[in-house]
Amino acid sequence: MDCEKVRDRFSSLWEKELIPPEEKIVREHLSSCQQCQQEFERFEKTMEWLRSVGEERVPDGFFPELQKKMEERKGKATSTERAGGRWLGFPLSLKLPVQAVAMVAIVFLVLYLAKMMPTEMYRLKDGKQSAPSLSIEKKSGQLLGQREGEGERGALETSPEVSRHKDVEQAKAPVPAEGRMEEGSIPQVPVERKAEQMFAQKGVEKERRAAGATAETPRSEEVEHPQSSLPREGKLKEAYVPPVRADAKKMEIPAPGTDVIGHRTFDSKEAARAQVPSPEPAGIEGRLVAKEKSIVASKPPREITLRSSDREKVTSKLHELVKQFGGEIVTSEGNMLLVSLPTGSFSGFEKELAGLSPSTSADKVAAKKKVLGSAGATPGRKREEVDEKKEEPAKSAIDQDSRTVVRILLIIE
Amino acid sequence: MGSCPRIEKEVIESCRAGDEKAFADIVLRRQKKVFNIAYRMLGNLEEAKDLAQEVFISVFESIKDLKEEIKFDAWLTQITLNHCRNRWKYLKRRQYFNSDSLDDPIETEEGTMPKAIYDPSDNPETHYEKKMVQQLIQRGLLKLKEDQRELLVLRDLQGFSYEEMRELLGLPEGTIKSKLHRARMDLKGILEKAAH
Repeated sequence: MDCEKVRDRFSSLWEKELIPPEEKIVREHLSSCQQCQQEFERFEKTMEWLRSVGEERVPDGFFPELQKKMEERKGKATSTERAGGRWLGFPLSLKLPVQAVAMVAIVFLVLYLAKMMPTEMYRLKDGKQSAPSLSIEKKSGQLLGQREGEGERGALETSPEVSRHKDVEQAKAPVPAEGRMEEGSIPQVPVERKAEQMFAQKGVEKERRAAGATAETPRSEEVEHPQSSLPREGKLKEAYVPPVRADAKKMEIPAPGTDVIGHRTFDSKEAARAQVPSPEPAGIEGRLVAKEKSIVASKPPREITLRSSDREKVTSKLHELVKQFGGEIVTSEGNMLLVSLPTGSFSGFEKELAGLSPSTSADKVAAKKKVLGSAGATPGRKREEVDEKKEEPAKSAIDQDSRTVVRILLIIE
Repeated sequence: MGSCPRIEKEVIESCRAGDEKAFADIVLRRQKKVFNIAYRMLGNLEEAKDLAQEVFISVFESIKDLKEEIKFDAWLTQITLNHCRNRWKYLKRRQYFNSDSLDDPIETEEGTMPKAIYDPSDNPETHYEKKMVQQLIQRGLLKLKEDQRELLVLRDLQGFSYEEMRELLGLPEGTIKSKLHRARMDLKGILEKAAH
């Protein structure tokens, strides 16, 4: 037996597990082989030491610590069970309705937020100007009604599509207004511009009608033109209104926005009409002033005399009222203020002003123009709407008329 | 398990029913064995204590799954070995034993002591206390492969029979014997290497 085989039997030899003949052979080898004998002695010593290793004492507090650990885990498990267990413990008949109600509430909340947020923002930004826009439409519709023949109007009244388009148009109205507000401009400007275009377009329409086209076709085209869409407006210009496009080109506006182009086109015309020294005042504010002045110049103002002992108080309240009714103070010279108000809100403004001072007297010096959109216009309202539907191009042609200029004279007592 | 008196069937049944006294009885009767296996396998008193406690928590939580009360000790040892294997892997991943060397100071209950120089031809008692030899063996054990250490701990330190080991490890007795012999020879080699 060689050394390797003998050394493989060290464990068996040490544990006395070898059969006697085998043990005899191994022992003989060990007595004859010094190296194997030495190896076996070292093995025996290792085993002796290994077996001599006693058991370590268990650290003090082993069991109390174990109990503490178990209690901690039990507590955690209980709290977890409590957290989820209460709800899980409720009967399904109670849980299902509660969950359903919660889900519906979440859906409504999300819908409300999604729908109302843009409207609220619009109201915040443009709240004062939405009302004048509507009155502009009505007024322009009424004027068109005067110009157009009764036969045409009747034909449009019978068209259901027209009213649908009108609704669509009204729904779209706030969108450009928002854009305008961002530029700090006047809301009716694009409407005016559109009116100009539409007036120009009207001739073409008449030609079309004469050529046998139906009344609906051009109307639907018009309605489809979004007021704020530049490409469509451009298309419109190219198709129907070359003069307007020429005007726009003359202005050479660098701004990319559609509305800006619209404003400037309008402003230059308005400025020319009002004979303002500078046809294009620097900046938007300048244009605003020019526009307001043009409005003032084009209409004789109403006059209101306001008597008060406290000038500052009355002035501040006056400012508030003007803002409240969506108006603007055009000029303020000494005791005289020139205020531009939406026509529809003039009566309300007048009442509020009367409440401000008991001695207020409103002198209706100006020619009594019928206030469009007021309560007195109700009988003709339906007809007005029809007019609007029929002749939209003209409805914003007289936007400036929808604003009433009021001259307020402050008398300090 | 070794030469420990068997845990009575009634105690195991009471513990299974949630009796904490029965559980305490089991812990007190088996804590030394569990703790020592853990200590020899991990080489750290604190880790061994924590592991032994985890083993008993596992026992309490899963004793209801124990089918045969007679196999309780084998089942307990199996749980202990499984915990040791997991803990060893965990500590190894965190480089816990990387600096471990026979030259490092040895951790004892009284503190740390310098390395003992091993020479099997010498009588260790003449130079060092018995405790130091034990710690030297412990260091040697930690140098072995995990499965080799398991075999040495079970057979040479805890006194398990080959039959018990066969049941625990699920290996043929011959395989266990040859593996055990290889482990012993490797330990001898480690100790010799440390001496030179």
